[in-house]
Amino acid sequence: MSSDVRFTDFKSDKQPTWCPGCGDFGTMNGMMKALAETGNDPDNTFVVAGIGCSGKIGTYMHSYALHGVHGRALPVGTGVKMARPDIEVMVSGGDGDGYSIGAGHFVHAVRRNVDMSYVVMDNRIYGLTKGQASPTSRSDFETSTTPEGPKQPPVNPLALALASGASFIAQSFASDALRHQEIIEQAIEHDGFGFVNVFSPCVTFNDVDTYDYFRESLVDLKEEGHDPNDYEDAKKVILDSDKEYQGVMYQDENSVPYHEQHGVTEDMSDIPEGAPDDAMDLVREFY
Amino acid sequence: MAEDLNWAVGGEAGDGIDSTGKIFAQALSRAGRHVFTSKDFASRIRGGYTAYKIRTSVEQVQSVVDRLDILVALTQRTIDENLDELHEGSAVIYDGERSWEAEIPDEITAVDVPLKSLAEDAGGAIMRNIVALGAACKITGFDVEYLDEALEKRFGGKGSKIVENNKEAARLGQEYVEENYDLDHLGYNVDVTDNDYVLLNGNEAIGMGAIAAGCRFYAGYPITPATSIMEYLTGRIEDYGGHVVQAEDELSAINMALGGARAGARAMTATSGAGIDLMTETFGLVATSETPLVICDVQRSGPSTGMPTKQEQGDLNMALYGGHGEVPRFVVAPTSITECFWKTVEAFNLAEKYNTPVFLVSDLAMSVTEQTFPPEAFDMDAVEIDRGKLVGDDEVDEWLDEQGRFRAHADTDDGVSPRAIPGTIDGAHMSTGLEHDELGRRTEEQDERVQQVDKRYRKVETAQEQEEWECREFGDEDADNLILTWGSNEGALVEALGYLEDEDVDVRVISVPYIFPRPDLTDEIEAAEQTIVVECNATGQFADLIEHDALTRVKRINKYTGVRFKADELAEQITDKLSEEVPAQ
Repeated sequence: MSSDVRFTDFKSDKQPTWCPGCGDFGTMNGMMKALAETGNDPDNTFVVAGIGCSGKIGTYMHSYALHGVHGRALPVGTGVKMARPDIEVMVSGGDGDGYSIGAGHFVHAVRRNVDMSYVVMDNRIYGLTKGQASPTSRSDFETSTTPEGPKQPPVNPLALALASGASFIAQSFASDALRHQEIIEQAIEHDGFGFVNVFSPCVTFNDVDTYDYFRESLVDLKEEGHDPNDYEDAKKVILDSDKEYQGVMYQDENSVPYHEQHGVTEDMSDIPEGAPDDAMDLVREFY
Repeated sequence: MAEDLNWAVGGEAGDGIDSTGKIFAQALSRAGRHVFTSKDFASRIRGGYTAYKIRTSVEQVQSVVDRLDILVALTQRTIDENLDELHEGSAVIYDGERSWEAEIPDEITAVDVPLKSLAEDAGGAIMRNIVALGAACKITGFDVEYLDEALEKRFGGKGSKIVENNKEAARLGQEYVEENYDLDHLGYNVDVTDNDYVLLNGNEAIGMGAIAAGCRFYAGYPITPATSIMEYLTGRIEDYGGHVVQAEDELSAINMALGGARAGARAMTATSGAGIDLMTETFGLVATSETPLVICDVQRSGPSTGMPTKQEQGDLNMALYGGHGEVPRFVVAPTSITECFWKTVEAFNLAEKYNTPVFLVSDLAMSVTEQTFPPEAFDMDAVEIDRGKLVGDDEVDEWLDEQGRFRAHADTDDGVSPRAIPGTIDGAHMSTGLEHDELGRRTEEQDERVQQVDKRYRKVETAQEQEEWECREFGDEDADNLILTWGSNEGALVEALGYLEDEDVDVRVISVPYIFPRPDLTDEIEAAEQTIVVECNATGQFADLIEHDALTRVKRINKYTGVRFKADELAEQITDKLSEEVPAQ
């Protein structure tokens, strides 16, 4: 089936309610195209989403999916992949979902290096609740709950991933469709946790981190000749707060995904109709 | 009742109290004797005191009593803590060479054994507790060879030298008592039988039940007293193709388990009340997305950090009502260690038959108590697995709408919708915590909202009709007085029947393992002159439910000291309670 899968097969018949021009359209299109391009089909794909504008993605895509509670999408994806190593798992979320309420899970999901991809639609604002500061908002970004700006530095999610021992760290821009799709494909194909922070502008509530801003400021690491396998180079671009980068910053060539580390390879949905044949051995252990 | 022996070892945390007790329990089990163990953890006066207590008999024992016959005391505190339970025929084994001077009342036999010196003679001071076990064998007339078997099991992995040293330590203890004391007047004689028993605790039974039931994915976060379920599964579930993952917190643990379940695995998480608080965030999602999941709560004393190593049954209302909004869940509470096994198996079947979360509510007393059973009590051939409406590739068709979309929340007569798991062709669908239509897509349409709410509650009606919901009954079925209980109190109640019989008090005991849905006991309550509900909490959460169901007032016996009921104590309380005025109806 996968040979003739088109990206539109990953599209549901629900029309997105995102604001016209929202970066999430481009982000989602790239996800669907990358999934199709890497040989997946909706029946062997599981998409997990949290809460926020990004969380609606499971509704607009067609696949097995769970739209969960706020901030916990990564644990759900982790459970799906551990129980079913044969299934392609893609987790998506927003900057609030991933770096605020779900920040603790982010760190540990990165450490575990479960073989799945994590696409964060980073718009540097809380959009669904109509414009409050997010963990990636600039320190002087004025919002309804931070009239003088948050007055605290934004989280650098790429650095957080690096410090947590990430094996794949990338950033893309929703509007640069081809590059965005290409980067998501690389994240899917990576043996381990493929993390992509996507600049996905909010056209309604963020008048600073706009399409124009990213178009003007974005530096593509591919064009810069950046070597993602070089940890020291990766560190430099990740910690460089003066520029906005696009591309794969870091990829550990020797990444060993969780299921290989732990020997978790079985389809756990497949169980016998009664207790396992040798289950009385479990009882005899207690003699 | 056959003669029972009550034995204990106590000292400071770190004195190896647990393993010493376990070895003696194991030896008694090898000798074909039944044992029932309990543990005292640190109490409030000063940290550190811990004790392992064993009640043993040739007949099944299922409770502790207020009597101690042999006490191995490594500290004065151990003696002080147990003074009330010691009696004229008791013997206290202690080490007079140690710095503390044992203050032991005159009527109690003090057996001074140089535990440390003898252990050093055997190869190391670390074995002093084993010397004490040897001494205890002599006092009780228990053949030290059974102790050898337990020592082999315990230390076999550490090499034959260690095993032999320990055996020698036991013999030195035995010989010392033989040479220096004449204790035949105490009259202890521990009979042995040819029976083979297994010795396990409630958490091990839950873990074993989970594997038997096909649970292959467990996500958890360490918490007393639930951790030993996770520890049991780790290293065993892998043999069956499963995996245990230690999550970063309980919020994550339940979401991982939810992911595993949505992926089609029988999945489980276990925690204690404080962890359920966190998991409650995700509970509603599990229930409304109609995901089969077993959530185990091994209750401990609350609220907040409470008394983390103490017994309580205070989480019943949380299991029943926790979380915002309205959505059904099943609540099953095993009443004994064997039932911990069987109710775990049943919990997995209920979860998948009705696509619903099932709270499996156990408690600390059951989790740390080791008890003997014939192995047939866990007959694996009797384990049945029912995966409910799990549809395969060839069955998906009948659940597709006219546009070929899978109706994951189809509004069926019995309320149960089909379940397609990833990989099933044409079964792709979304699950969500939002109210949804039959396809799982968000809706706020009034008709669809009502349809889905009704559908979810119809599952409960179906389950109520289709399942057995059997209670466990003990005592005299025609007695005037009815005792109701839930959870781990069953054993103490069953043993209390013996004491009550001696006092000519007839009672009927119904032990209820199903909290929701639960059997209607109105007829039984109406047939009784008096009804008493026994439970380990302050407010009578189960009694409230019973009063609500039967529209009547019941008497209550509540214990919330942090210590489980004892059979003799309970018998006395029941007698007293029966003589109190009947509450106004």
